[in-house]
Amino acid sequence: MTNDADTFTITMRKRPWWFWAFAELWLLSEVVLVQTALASARESEYRAATISWIAAAVLAVAGAFGWLRRKDSHKPNEPNKSV
Amino acid sequence: MEGTRKQTGRRAFLKAGGIVAATGALGSMGAFVTGTGEDASRSGNERKRARWIKAVSRPTLGETNADYKRFSGFDMFALYPSLKTQRDGAGSFEAEQASKDKRLVAWTNEKKPGFSLPDQQLSEGAWTVMRSARPGAGLLSWTRPPEDVPTEPIAPRYTAAPEEMANTVKAAARLYGARLVGIAPMNEAYVNLKVPHRERPHKERPPKDAQQKDAHSTVHPHEGEDQKSADSLAHHHADNDQKCERGKEQKTDQPPQDKEIVFADVDVPEVTDAKFMIPRKMKWVVAIAIPMDIELLARTPTPLGDAASALGYSHSAFVVSSLAVFIRGLGYEAIPCVNDTAQSIPFALDAGLGELSRLNKLVTPDFGPAVRLCKVFTDMPMACDKPVDFGLVEFCKTCKKCAEACPSRALSFDDEPSFKTKGPWNNPGHKTWYEDSYKCYQYWQKSGSACGVCLASCPYTKGDQAWIHNAVKATASIAPAADGVFRIMDNAFGYGKQHDPEQWWTKDSPSSRRG
Repeated sequence: MTNDADTFTITMRKRPWWFWAFAELWLLSEVVLVQTALASARESEYRAATISWIAAAVLAVAGAFGWLRRKDSHKPNEPNKSV
Repeated sequence: MEGTRKQTGRRAFLKAGGIVAATGALGSMGAFVTGTGEDASRSGNERKRARWIKAVSRPTLGETNADYKRFSGFDMFALYPSLKTQRDGAGSFEAEQASKDKRLVAWTNEKKPGFSLPDQQLSEGAWTVMRSARPGAGLLSWTRPPEDVPTEPIAPRYTAAPEEMANTVKAAARLYGARLVGIAPMNEAYVNLKVPHRERPHKERPPKDAQQKDAHSTVHPHEGEDQKSADSLAHHHADNDQKCERGKEQKTDQPPQDKEIVFADVDVPEVTDAKFMIPRKMKWVVAIAIPMDIELLARTPTPLGDAASALGYSHSAFVVSSLAVFIRGLGYEAIPCVNDTAQSIPFALDAGLGELSRLNKLVTPDFGPAVRLCKVFTDMPMACDKPVDFGLVEFCKTCKKCAEACPSRALSFDDEPSFKTKGPWNNPGHKTWYEDSYKCYQYWQKSGSACGVCLASCPYTKGDQAWIHNAVKATASIAPAADGVFRIMDNAFGYGKQHDPEQWWTKDSPSSRRG
């Protein structure tokens, strides 16, 4: 956001198509892993459940890290690159 | 702002479009993985099956050659005493049985996990229904009870289009407890030559599992063992129950004889002292699969794990006997069979219940090899189903997990199936991975159980709650190149390993299961 005394100018950058594809893939993977973890626990397959929980957690952390990193990547004197 | 609003609107539109597209893609994938399709409707049951289970004109494995004949009926249960004696000398079989009995008593007293008194009696209880079923008698009677034979037809027999007749029978079978049902044409080559009378010199512990378990462990399914063997064992135990009182055999004046099974131009099935007669007009076979309890199966090789087979057999006896009464009530004849009388596996293959596997047993896409098979012969005209292909044979060529897991090394490690048999327990003349039933049955004696590790270790033996499993099966059906990765993943996730037997009573029994 810039301020030239009389007006605010907001620059909104579109996220590229691959970002949304990647986000959907990430979300799908999370859903499948969590469902697998819950189902495996119900079926007494505890090792499969544990691995699925760990994978889901790692993926969640990776997703959060990627999101935060991207959000903080703009420089103070430049237009904000994130919405 | 106007431009910004337009841009925002377009982006929102694109986002919404993306979400719709993604949802559509997921839905399509879901339909492929779990949904229905034309092929499935032709190949299976009234309940349509997933699209990745394709109907084909002939079974993917099990092709026969000129050597294929009706199986003698003498499977490993019948052959083992003489084979053992032949290989290890006179008295070796009796000594082995005595040693096994002694070992079992010791394990019971020391409460070895899976061998405690409750563990063993769980299986005993599960056998109850099956024990009252013998080929041609009791629950498995081939004819109506005399008091139920009407002197005059009460009503015209039920008639409809063949497809509707098939669906009617399948609906009834499902109500009685069948999970997979298919209709196959009668093939006389699959029917055994005899119903052997089995004499056991030793008191045996109650039958342990047997289904495909025993099938694989005994003779070969396609040939004549699979469920047959299991069945034989069950019938044998039924015999024992009737003849023995706490292990002491009572002598009878006339020793039972083996009985021939013949096809004849008669109106109704007949069972005489010398033979079983199947009317030639019985041209249809209802092939049925009963799933085993995989929580129990995961406890093999123990008596606790054997309860999974026992329960499967008892359910089978109930389903086929109920279905036979239903069909007779519609005005037709019906012969209910569990493992007896004929090979269940080839009929199940023809009816599209599954594919023949490295185990030399049927593997279903839904429950893997963890099923018990049974069948009903009838003269009720029905539309037949088609065999199925879901990529199993290619998967078996790569996987070999069952062969590696088998404690007795009874299963084949060959890359390709062949016509080469392993012993007299195999029925020659069909292409498969033949198993060494002698080694298998010998391990039964050593372990004090009917094993079943091969059934439990198969990657297709899975619960049905995790979506990912169906996705993997669907992928394997169209991309054999991924089979090796799936096998590695199956191991990495810990599938197929024995579960703690003691934990069944506290955590995994039906009364304590979650969900």
